[in-house]
Amino acid sequence: MQSSLGPEASNNGNWGPLVTRKSVMRSGLAALLVAPFTASSLVAGRGQESGGSEDESSDWAEGRGATDEEIVLGVSAAFSGPSRGLGTELYRGAMAYFNHVNGNGGIEGRRVSLRLYDDGYQPDPCVQNTMRLMLEDKVFSLFGYVGTPTVTRVLPILKKFQDEKIFLFFPFTGAQPQREPPYGEFAFNLRASYNQETAGLVDNLVQIGRRRIAVFYQIDAYGRSGWAGVRAALDKHGERLAGEATYSRGEKFTGSMRKQVEILQGVSPDAVICIGAYAACAAFARDAVDLGLEVPIANLSFVGSENLLKLLTEGQDDAERYTRQLINSQVVPSYEDTSIPAVQEYRDLMARYDPQVPADLVQEEYAPFPHSFGSLEGFLNAKLMGEILRRLGPNPDRAGLEEAIFSIEDFDLGISERVSFSPDRRQGLQSVYHTVVEDGRFVPLDDWGARFG
Amino acid sequence: MRIRRLFKWTRFGIFAVFGLIVLSTSILCIYTVDTELSAEYEVNTQNIAKTIADSSAGILLNQNLATLQSLVDQFLEVQGIRYIYITSETGEFLAHTFVPGIPEEILESEHSNTAPVERSLPGMGDFIEVGSPILAGVAGTVHVGMDLDVVALKIQRAIGQQVYLISVMLLIAVLASIWFVNLAAKPLGELLAYAVELAKDGENDELGERDLLARDDEVGHLARLFLHVSRQGGGRGLPANTSGTE
Repeated sequence: MQSSLGPEASNNGNWGPLVTRKSVMRSGLAALLVAPFTASSLVAGRGQESGGSEDESSDWAEGRGATDEEIVLGVSAAFSGPSRGLGTELYRGAMAYFNHVNGNGGIEGRRVSLRLYDDGYQPDPCVQNTMRLMLEDKVFSLFGYVGTPTVTRVLPILKKFQDEKIFLFFPFTGAQPQREPPYGEFAFNLRASYNQETAGLVDNLVQIGRRRIAVFYQIDAYGRSGWAGVRAALDKHGERLAGEATYSRGEKFTGSMRKQVEILQGVSPDAVICIGAYAACAAFARDAVDLGLEVPIANLSFVGSENLLKLLTEGQDDAERYTRQLINSQVVPSYEDTSIPAVQEYRDLMARYDPQVPADLVQEEYAPFPHSFGSLEGFLNAKLMGEILRRLGPNPDRAGLEEAIFSIEDFDLGISERVSFSPDRRQGLQSVYHTVVEDGRFVPLDDWGARFG
Repeated sequence: MRIRRLFKWTRFGIFAVFGLIVLSTSILCIYTVDTELSAEYEVNTQNIAKTIADSSAGILLNQNLATLQSLVDQFLEVQGIRYIYITSETGEFLAHTFVPGIPEEILESEHSNTAPVERSLPGMGDFIEVGSPILAGVAGTVHVGMDLDVVALKIQRAIGQQVYLISVMLLIAVLASIWFVNLAAKPLGELLAYAVELAKDGENDELGERDLLARDDEVGHLARLFLHVSRQGGGRGLPANTSGTE
């Protein structure tokens, strides 16, 4: 196994301790003794899953990633920084389901726990966390990662260690790299892709006569993925991007997006599609309205709709002014629609468990939402993950993961769309939903023409 | 002592020669470092552009633009590189690193050009941009912009370190020359004082017992010669205004 990841100097204390050659050499012994239980950011479940015996640790050291009592999934996600809401919401939804499973005897008697590390939505820490999860923590699988720039950098690691059969399950990104060769075989996706989301937005906008579509995007792999999706969708309509403006990952809502708005005003777009995170996209929407760019502003699911809405409305006398042009694409149905069985189950379990991000990982204040698209997605991810683990039988082994997931055919997650996987189909859901803001919340958009025509 | 005046021009000469050495070495150093480092940065930038071009060929053919952008972002971490952009064979920008948008000058430039070109981009600074074709240009071109201010800073730092070293050496050399001159001037001063005393009172027996006379160098020889001449000359005195001291 590769054992070195470079210096520890860049750690900054924001994420779990880094892997070094020395530490990896020690990892077997560390796993036997204390390492799995002493990392500051180590968390499993809501605390009750965090314990474990030395016998369990020895099993990890042997590489199974599962013991008689526990199956550990590794998570690297944004729990700090301007995008911390994304990791937090996804985690909360997933833990609501896993807590429910664990409270009912677990899967084949094993509880499911998550080992968490914070990457702040930055690629390098994500790579370091992944190496730690794989080499030191020896988790069963990777699960619920957040973001394209982070996941894109992790995929080559999965390829490097492909013999270990460590797969990435259900990352919170719709980008293409984990859906296509050469890395597509190492990840399984539940959500629809950005290509599907952008195509849905473009098709509907063009249909109502808004053909001049510009893009505001995060200048990284995520932004480029969405940019490419919009470009491809426009190409089908014989159109080209009307213009583009960019911002750097990590921008805050307090930052100015006036230059970006002015650039796009210069091309007189009929609509703008934003590919970014909530803080920057909210800042753009705010500045667009303030500068008189009164066109539909669409966002992808990754944006974090509730956080976007909160930033645009909190403390505003005329909040509707900033939100009436918003169109948010979603990859899960509305969490307000309790006629959907999975939504009702999600709401019940969120109310019962109300999972919180472990205090060790909380560096900045964040008030989670009782319900959100992000936590619903996390819930559905966990529900499907639970089903896969069940299908592994009484002796879970990574080697059986592919067979287990490919056995999922027309599986009912509790939403209208059924889930299927196969070697040629590594994305479970295909549906995209469109929402707009009414009465301070996102509701389904039924009539594009009436609203934006 | 008066005798030090003999070495005034010597000291000045040493200082002037060393100053000339420092000046000429510094000029040569500045020229060499500037030329070499500039060329090295340009070559490095070209190598980076070529590396990206080689790496991105397969990615481009698969139209995997997210991976392409990820690749570009990683190279942006190299010190001095301020922007990278990749254009298709038709001139479309497939990946770039510009915020808040692509500058007009770059939008209007010849996208297939790979020759080094100096650019001044408003709000960004001055750059040297080099290009590298992807699959001989049929799949597009990679352009890498190196920040000239960073290059200049590096060059200044390298030159500064060399000039600093040379200046320290000059200072040591001047101080050493002063010390050596003083070392040579001290016995000459004693010899001069001795000669004056001989001229004033050559018959004084005490003058024949000085340590100076025991030296076996030129100063000792001269002291003994002065004593001998003084004794033979009957101790004729010197003019009253020859004090022998400063």
